[in-house]
Amino acid sequence: MENLFKPLAMAAAMTIAPTLSLADDWAPPGPITMMIGFSAGGGADTQARLIAQGLEEKYGWKVLPQQLTGNSGLSLAAELAKAPADGSVIGMVVSETLTYSALAVGDPGLQLENFTSLATTAKFELGLVAMAGGAFDSWDKVATAGTEGTPIRFGIASDRQGDVAYLFGQAVGIDWNIVPVKGGAGVMNGLRGGDLDLGWVAGAQSKPVQQGEMVNIASGIQTALTDSPDAPLITDLGSPFVIDGYFMFIAPGDLAPQARTAIGAAISDVINDPATEANALITKSFGGPDVITGDALDTRMQQLLDDAAHLLEQANAS
Amino acid sequence: MTEILDYIWLGVLAVFQGPQLFSLLGFAIPAAPVMVLAGLLVGIAVGATPGLAGPMAMAIALPILISIFGFTPDALLPVFGFLIGIMKGATVGGAVPAILFNMPGTPDALMTTLDGYPMAQRGQPKRALRIAQLSSVTGDTFSDIVLFVCAPFLAVMVEAYLDLPEKTALLILSISFIAAVMGGSVGKGLLSVGLGLIAAFVGTGQALVPRLTGGVEGLSNGFSLVGAILGVLILGEIFKSIEDMMQRDRAQPATQRRDTSAVQDGLQPGDMRRIAPHVARSAVIGTIIGALPGVGSTLAATLSYTVGRKRHEKRRKDSDPGFGEGAPEGIASTEASNSAVSGANLIPVLSLGIPGNAAAVFLILAADSIGGFNPGPAVFKFTAPAINPELVTAFGIFTLMVIGNLLNWTIGGRFMRSMGVLARVPGQILLPAVLLLTLTAIYVQETSLFALWVTFGFGILGYLFRRSEVPVLPFVIAFILARPLEQTAREAFAATGGDPWFLFSSPTSVIFTVAAIASVAFLSRK
Repeated sequence: MENLFKPLAMAAAMTIAPTLSLADDWAPPGPITMMIGFSAGGGADTQARLIAQGLEEKYGWKVLPQQLTGNSGLSLAAELAKAPADGSVIGMVVSETLTYSALAVGDPGLQLENFTSLATTAKFELGLVAMAGGAFDSWDKVATAGTEGTPIRFGIASDRQGDVAYLFGQAVGIDWNIVPVKGGAGVMNGLRGGDLDLGWVAGAQSKPVQQGEMVNIASGIQTALTDSPDAPLITDLGSPFVIDGYFMFIAPGDLAPQARTAIGAAISDVINDPATEANALITKSFGGPDVITGDALDTRMQQLLDDAAHLLEQANAS
Repeated sequence: MTEILDYIWLGVLAVFQGPQLFSLLGFAIPAAPVMVLAGLLVGIAVGATPGLAGPMAMAIALPILISIFGFTPDALLPVFGFLIGIMKGATVGGAVPAILFNMPGTPDALMTTLDGYPMAQRGQPKRALRIAQLSSVTGDTFSDIVLFVCAPFLAVMVEAYLDLPEKTALLILSISFIAAVMGGSVGKGLLSVGLGLIAAFVGTGQALVPRLTGGVEGLSNGFSLVGAILGVLILGEIFKSIEDMMQRDRAQPATQRRDTSAVQDGLQPGDMRRIAPHVARSAVIGTIIGALPGVGSTLAATLSYTVGRKRHEKRRKDSDPGFGEGAPEGIASTEASNSAVSGANLIPVLSLGIPGNAAAVFLILAADSIGGFNPGPAVFKFTAPAINPELVTAFGIFTLMVIGNLLNWTIGGRFMRSMGVLARVPGQILLPAVLLLTLTAIYVQETSLFALWVTFGFGILGYLFRRSEVPVLPFVIAFILARPLEQTAREAFAATGGDPWFLFSSPTSVIFTVAAIASVAFLSRK
């Protein structure tokens, strides 16, 4: 995987090279406030701060990270919507915030079309995680226990994960006890403390899985997981939905195209440069950079939005 | 076992090899130990100033420290170092004005005036201060050792034996216990706790739309923790003090010093032997009381003083002064015990994430603001070969406390004896200065004027609390514990498959729940 990834990163870097000249034409009007929709100290927060550090080092932009958590990233979105659309304020969320969560809330001001998508940083390496050596460390064990009626405590970190878990359970005939907790770190703490049996984690499980403390018993995305290529896909096990998505940067709506291109390119440059700490972290803990910008990103977000609408429809119907 | 030793060593290294403050002659000076020293000196000065207390200084220092050291996990140990220094310094410093001017610098030094002031009047102020310092530091050191041993052990027990319903019940028990033991009546304690919970529920919750905001956008993330806590604790106190000053002229009668040049000052031969048993007994009493969340150092001091007096009366020779007449044993009993509370008070914070006093509140606040360290049972996971950074931080904190004690033993005493002058700062100068510092500190951290309005609002609430003699600390502790409580309760409810009686699902949680009800029911009948 490592061998495949390096040429890819190079290729990505080369496609960005021409746009760098555009980036040179644009400079932020002052310090950039970077709102972070994740709780301080977690993996996603560290990622955001290292990208801020990279932007300062490589571009000389002054970046001020600021925590703005709550309501699955929508608190951040609401605050960002009020900020000036001149590149002086950006925010880091997950694609889920502006797709599933925004749709579920229904506030017209918080919908995807009111924001400018800048760049994704990494895709979810979302796995169904359990403690290694425990009673649920393979899908067979889970399925057997579930059909026998053993209560299984299933940790989720967002409503969307809850809906997918619920519909997955319906499809395989298991009635999970679905437990909403705080973030992937909350799921892993619950697993370690014996308060949970299973849970979705969107990348932060990488280290414990590599160290043999936890296992990915299934992949929650369309493809196999980098850390556990042999784990089955949940769609193969019967789940009608996956939990794919990205960590990404957004800006207020109607951001000038020049600013959008410049910031997107700068973020992409920082993440794809193997010399930056941001790149090292994303490679180590998030399955490697996965940067999408510009029109390609708009297309991808529209796909995710359609999927989310479908999921909500199914979840509400059942 | 080697794992534990490895972690202790890593904690020590984290303190001494952490971010450097500056370099001296080519040697890097690590920030954390220097911050302990700075905090200790500030703490002694603050403790020696009547009207100021350790928590107040911690509150003002915290936002300033964070703006200096930033939000990275590297900032944790230097910031904790300063706060721990203040905490330790203030308990020692509180004895200074109590002994010299019959004014307790901190509330828990009240009992120190009983014997310290008479001894100073007899011409032995240095002896009194030295006894106070020795007893205080010994009590503190003892309770720190108990903390180092008990906190990890308790945390591991909790994690191994308590499931979500039991954890919920334990939180309910802590909050009820705090409501029951703090302040004059259980009813007022419960009122304080209830208001704290309501305030904390604004703008939080799991729905995608913020709750209880009344449409005010600034509240969509809830009241800021710093604004609410500093408002109630500090602004409320300032408003109340201003009113007190307006109501009465605070002219102090000039203290008369008798001519005592003939009396020898300083530590007398045999003093150590005389106070040793009292220090030991009081340290144990203080530690036990300190380990219970919410029971303050004042109770520990009163209890130790009373027990000490009984023992002393039985054995004393006629030539020795009795308690209340300037007995060194009296100073020792009080100071050892109220200082022992401060270390033991951190046991519930570090092992359960439950703050038991105002100092612990600010340690949680610091951890919360900086991130990367979440006090609670999850900290004490001895993982290998991967390193648990939170556990390293915990041992780093223990190291800082040891450094604080060593400094307190050595230079603390000397610094303390030079602080008598601070007791003379008039309130007209002190209060506005503290108010300005507090508001600046909040603005530095929150950078929004709305946060200042929130602070003022909570300041008025704190003032009303004090006017109606409702204890303030249960409000603050409930405010902090509200989110963990709601979160664990939701998780417990969901994990038991939506069982509304989850609090009664196991014997342990039944015991906790019954104890919570009992603490309120029985303690209200005094």
